[in-house]
Amino acid sequence: MTPRMRKLLEFTLDNLVWFMLVFVLAVFSALIPNYFQLGIFANIIEASSVLGVMSIGLALVIIAGHMDLSVESVAALSAMAVGILFCSAGIGLGIKLTPAWLAVPVSLALALAVGGLIGLFNGWLIVKVKMNAFIITLASYIWVRGIVLAVSGGRSAQDLAPAIRWFAIQRFIGLPLTAWIAILCFVLFSVIMAKTPFGRHLVMIGGNETATYRAGIRVTRYLILAFVLAGAIAGLSGWLLAIRTSGATANLGIGLLFNAFAAVVIGGVSLKGGVGALPGVYAGVLLLSAINTAINLMGLPAVYTQVIHGFLVLAAVLLDTFKTRLRQKLA
Amino acid sequence: MKRILLAAFAALAFGLSTFSSAFAETKGTVYYLVPTLLDEFQTGSVSALEMFLKQVGYEMKTLNADNKTDVQQSQMNDVIALKPAAIILAAVDFNALKPSIEAARAAGIPVSEFDRQITSTVSDFTSVAGTVEIGYVAADQAEKLLKAKNGEVKGKVLQVLGDPGDPYTLDIQKGFEEKMKAFPGVTIISLPAMQWEASNAGTIVSDQMLANPDIDLIFSHAAHLSVAAVASLEAAGKKPGDVMLMSSNGAPVGLDLIRKGWLNVEVEQPLYAQAAAIAMFMDKMVAKEEIKPGEYDVLGLKGVVTKEAWGPNIKIPGAAITKENVDNPAFWGNLKPPTATITSVK
Repeated sequence: MTPRMRKLLEFTLDNLVWFMLVFVLAVFSALIPNYFQLGIFANIIEASSVLGVMSIGLALVIIAGHMDLSVESVAALSAMAVGILFCSAGIGLGIKLTPAWLAVPVSLALALAVGGLIGLFNGWLIVKVKMNAFIITLASYIWVRGIVLAVSGGRSAQDLAPAIRWFAIQRFIGLPLTAWIAILCFVLFSVIMAKTPFGRHLVMIGGNETATYRAGIRVTRYLILAFVLAGAIAGLSGWLLAIRTSGATANLGIGLLFNAFAAVVIGGVSLKGGVGALPGVYAGVLLLSAINTAINLMGLPAVYTQVIHGFLVLAAVLLDTFKTRLRQKLA
Repeated sequence: MKRILLAAFAALAFGLSTFSSAFAETKGTVYYLVPTLLDEFQTGSVSALEMFLKQVGYEMKTLNADNKTDVQQSQMNDVIALKPAAIILAAVDFNALKPSIEAARAAGIPVSEFDRQITSTVSDFTSVAGTVEIGYVAADQAEKLLKAKNGEVKGKVLQVLGDPGDPYTLDIQKGFEEKMKAFPGVTIISLPAMQWEASNAGTIVSDQMLANPDIDLIFSHAAHLSVAAVASLEAAGKKPGDVMLMSSNGAPVGLDLIRKGWLNVEVEQPLYAQAAAIAMFMDKMVAKEEIKPGEYDVLGLKGVVTKEAWGPNIKIPGAAITKENVDNPAFWGNLKPPTATITSVK
């Protein structure tokens, strides 16, 4: 095999999920009436903003060799906290700040703080107390959702302050600002993961925690930071979710966790840790969103969504195995 | 230390005895098995049932099944072992709970169905607005709205269902589509919002408004789904009135949307009356006395009790809430519980 051919093959393998996305979009555009239009593509990007942001945090923890099942409930709690304070209908208190735009940084800080604190709690128990990440974050998944229910009493907060809702209504190059926030997050964290010591160390920890520790890297600190970031990013996705739905209900975001896991796996992140890049995760999120939109437009019974998601994850894992074997042959 | 422990035990024993004597004053404990608390109608039903049962002398305890059939089955088994005065069941799954209902009744515990009608076995009492009937009321309203807009009953309707695994939404769909069949000029696009999650409804509306910009009416099966639908319409630059909207269950958020001009109609489930009816007939259920068919006044609404194959059944019709009557305090969405106390049916 010529070096050029090898380079081309490696490039294809590295970006396989993007090629899959392009293929799927082309097939849907050709076969599904009304699919091929800019508005639908904008919808796909917009609808993937919440899931996309949540997947970033989840991917960080998985790359570091752990997992965080609490992100969905953390997003719901952040959304509910923002909803209760800044919505004017339902259980919303309708707090008004002067000037009105202050509601944006305050609500954002609140969402990030709620998520970050839960992430810190999870991280402390997992890293310092050495408890199992699966169990601890599963417990958080349950108790955090319980808090959402307890603080809301099962009721909803609606009519979010216009200054915050502005992000869902205002568009830039055809996309709402919430979608741009998600894109910016992916760019920022992709750079952090690829170009900074923090990102590289996180990958090393996920690959071999003991070897990384012996190399003098402060594993404990990095891992706790990864959990805090996962929590804070989930908080950000909750903030976006509240903006998107103009408030919060007690069941807001239910089901997002499994989609986030699907996106992360489809995006090429290994559940064993140490492998994965965020651009691939974004492609995975867009792929899921493209399929959901196709199902919406085809009017297929929704049960097929889960079947398709399930097979897609399976296909991604098979492809990943195929990629690994091909790489071994190339080496 | 020993003294402290003894004192603590004594205090605990005293507390428990006081607690028990407080219970002894009631006619008994009734368990309410609620399908979920992630829904304003269901949380509202807990407080309404508790209030009305207290007025007729019962204490109520609530168990939440989190929309899981197996959890509700286990709860039924546990409650049967506690031998309560009665069980009120709002079933997660209309059929799966049949053996549990039969087991409770065989143990001498009366079972009353609330809001969700179970026809596959006999219950002691059923209080419903009728989920299929809600679909009928919604169809009548859709007929009026489409006629007013297009001159005749024609056009495109986007029907946003709840979770496709929930018989509640499937029944409303059945009723709605059954009645709308009479109008061949009406196209209905039905899509489910998985797990009744609001952002899923928002995505459906965003996609469909692009694929079918000529949609005349959006009918969501719960008010909180309409909120997300409105958020999507707003993000797409629509103003109140550009697209007609309708939803069902009568939750407070739906009423707010009517006041803001976004929602045309909210089909209400008469939550207070449904709950009051159960309490009014509780003495009869517990005493295993016959519940006679006929018309009964339930909080000013006409409830009709009929003898069905599944036992006595009271049906209280749902009302259509519009801009004209939205502030009527009788609607549970206005969160003004009735001040008049109810009495047991003799």
